[in-house]
Order: sequence, then structure tokens, then C-alpha cells
Amino acid sequence: MFNLIIRDIILQKKQLMIFIPYILFFILMGSPPILTFLVACIFIPFNAYAYDEKAETNILLNSLPYTRTEIIASRYLGAILYMAVSIGITSLALLVFNKMFTWTDIAIAVGLFLLFASLTFPLFQILKPGYISTVVLMGFILTSLGFLRMSRHLPEYAAAISEFMDTFSDPVLYTGAAVVVMAVYAVSWGVTTIIYQRKAF
Amino acid sequence: MENVVEFKNVMKNFKGFSVNNMDLQVKQGFVTGFIGANGAGKSTTIKLMMNLLRPDAGEIKLFGLDYKTHEKAIKERIGFVYDGNVFFEGLNLKDIKRIVGPAYKRWDDALFYRYVEQFNLPLNKAIRTFSKGMQMKASLAIALSHHAELIIMDEPTAGLDPIFRRELLDLLQELMLDGSRTIFFSTHITTDLDRIADYIAFIKNGELVFNQSIHEVAENYALVKGGTDLLDRDTEQVFLHIRRTPTGFEALTDNRSNVKSLFGNHVLMEQASLEDIMYHLKGDVQHV
Repeated sequence: MFNLIIRDIILQKKQLMIFIPYILFFILMGSPPILTFLVACIFIPFNAYAYDEKAETNILLNSLPYTRTEIIASRYLGAILYMAVSIGITSLALLVFNKMFTWTDIAIAVGLFLLFASLTFPLFQILKPGYISTVVLMGFILTSLGFLRMSRHLPEYAAAISEFMDTFSDPVLYTGAAVVVMAVYAVSWGVTTIIYQRKAF
Repeated sequence: MENVVEFKNVMKNFKGFSVNNMDLQVKQGFVTGFIGANGAGKSTTIKLMMNLLRPDAGEIKLFGLDYKTHEKAIKERIGFVYDGNVFFEGLNLKDIKRIVGPAYKRWDDALFYRYVEQFNLPLNKAIRTFSKGMQMKASLAIALSHHAELIIMDEPTAGLDPIFRRELLDLLQELMLDGSRTIFFSTHITTDLDRIADYIAFIKNGELVFNQSIHEVAENYALVKGGTDLLDRDTEQVFLHIRRTPTGFEALTDNRSNVKSLFGNHVLMEQASLEDIMYHLKGDVQHV
């Protein structure tokens, strides 16, 4: 199954060359480290889906001695692996450019990436090829707009939220968040596997 | 004789099309040609065979194994060639080998390079730039490089020029010398089969009409020509399909001896080619 994960590197050889300039762009633009980490994590796994949405790719993979469970597992494990590598590279780049970042930045970026992946991976299996990028783009814009609206009202809720947060100690809060994110990722993995099992090519 | 592929009562329903109660056996060590008109269900059958589609009912076994429990073991032993290119078209053959090779336990690099050389395939050019014939050769090189026991091909000769078609058939014949290999391939170019097929499976509207050795087909089926005055409600029963022309009739039978005893020398009996059979059976089988 490791071959299935390595496949992404072989497929994306050319795109990987723009990976560094892509990260540098965000760093030099002075984006917050969280955003830089997040976009770096998204690069490889979501590029991979551009290949996987093609029917031919699924016919090929399913004709090779792999099970459908393995094909999906390679997606979810691959996302974690490539996330780790991307974070390593981005951290190095940030250090080189003398930009400050904290472990909390990385933790939040990882959490957000895993949540984003959990929501989009099953969608990739449901939506018809060709619509996927449109839907993801629309989703991204709508979510951003939603956040903007929410942030306007944020001060009203800020007190209540921070009061709620204060009832937990920091370790409890972080562990809790980590558990929730991992649970969501695991559920998403299960759901995607079930959807993929039922697909016809 | 052992069956490499065994379909028992397989059903698969789609909107407006279905494969019904298919019982299909592919015998080990032989070439089985799978014929039928466009849309008859050839590709669906092949997809069922590859587990790309799952049957709604019935049982499919390959090498006596079930896909539910032995999916990997089965696919390890199959080489596949599809109608269109399924490989990443932006990649060159070397990279495709890097992706596909490690999937098989018995992948043989030396063998792969031998086929690449034999087929004159460029290793460093994107598949996208390959002609249809070259894409076919590339698929075939990959399909043959892991010592597959069963080679499944969906319309491998479609869109190929006559010379390469012949080369391909010669190559398949060479592969069969080994004795343990089985080839199952679909086509609608029936002349391909006269050269290499041992068995012919014929599908029409999602139903298997027959699956016989090429000799049995030649022995059973015949084209009968004669004057229309010979036809009546009773005599028509021996034919599968009758085409009437101003000068007489041409009909297909699957029972030579019956026709002979009924009409004697009043009719002309000719060997029915696969194309004749396909043509006459294209409508519903009926005793006109």
C-alpha cells in the first residue's frame, strides 16, 4: 500500500517544483504562519485528487492488486504523511526567513487541515468529476464569508466564549480538540471507504 | 478441463440495460473470443470479471476464488488491457512502470524492458503523445510483465491498423505456446477470431447466446440458401433467422443435420462466418 502513497510523488514530480515558490509566496506576503502551514499541507493531497477524479485512474487502481479499502486508506494515511513533510519544509523555510512561529500555530494548522480533509475527501467521492473543484472553491469562499460575518459579531460572543474556554485547563482543551479532530478524521475515513466500496467504474 | 473464469447466474441491472442470468466459463489454456455488437454488454461483462462492477445477483469466480475474500490474489494473476488508455497520460512509460510495477509481487523488470524493446516503445515520452497502436502496445507490455496467467482484453484491436492487428494476433499466439496461459478478449472484428480463438462466446442484449469451441460453431451453424417456395410454417422452424430476397432466401441455422434431412439437396448450405451469425442474430431470435 506504501506504493499507492509514493504514487503521488511520481505523479506530481512537476508540480512539486512549484511547491517551494508557492510556500515562499505566502511567507514573503507576510501571511500568518497558521495560513502558510495550512496551504502547504493542502498542496499535495488536493493535487492528488485532480488525478483521482478521472474515471480512468480508478479503473487502473482497481484493476491492480489493491482492494478498495487500501486505495482509500492510502489517501488518508498519505494526507497525514504529506502533511508532516510539508510542515517540516515550511518550518525550515520560515526559520530561514527568520519568521516567528509557535507550536500552537502548527497544532492549529494541523487541526484545520485534518478537518478540511475530513469534510472534502468524502465529497470527492460523491460529486461528479468536473464539479469538484468548483464546489471546493465555492465552499472555500462561502466559509470565508461566513467567518467574516461571524467575526463582526464576535466581540459580542467573545466574552461568553472565553468564559466557557476558561472552565477548561489548557491541556484539557488541547487534548479535547485533538481527540475531536482525530474522531472526525476517523469517521470521514470510514464514510469514504463505504462510499468507495459501492462505486461502479 | 479447468475453468479460469466462472459466472453463475450473474445479473447486473442498469437503467435500460441489463446482463441477465449469465453463465460463462472461460477454459484454462485457451483463447476465448468474446463477440457481440456495440452495446451488447461486452465491456460490462469484462468489468464484472475485473470486479470493477459487482453483480446484483449470482456468483463470479476466478481461478476458483471469490473476489470477496481473495481480491488481491486474483488480480495478482490477471493482466488487463482496456479499450482506452487508463494510464496517467501525462506520465512517460518509465514512471508508469514505477507506479504499476510495485503493485505486483511477480513484476519482472527484465521482461518489461524486453517487451518495450520488442514493441519499439519510447520510455521517456508522455503516453499522451503515443498513437493508439503504441498505447495498446504499452498496455500490453505492462499486462505481460508480471507473469499473468489470465489476460483480459477489452477490444484490443479496435482502432488499430491491419498490420499491427496482425502483429498483435501473432504475439498473442506466441504467448499461448506456454500452455498455461488463458486469454479472454472482446472484439467486434470477427476476423480476428478466425485466426486465434479456440472458443467463441457470443453475447447479445446482455445475454450469452452461446459459448462453444470454434469447431463446434463451424459444425453447428450454417448459412442456408434456397427458393422461398420451400418455406412454410413448419420448415421455417429449423432456422434462427430468415432473410427473404426477391430471388430466394438466406437463413441461419444452428442445426445442420436437421436442415439436411428436411430439405436434402434443394438448398445450398454454406459455412456461416461469425459475421453471418452476428448479423442474423442481431434482432431477437425468432422462428420467422
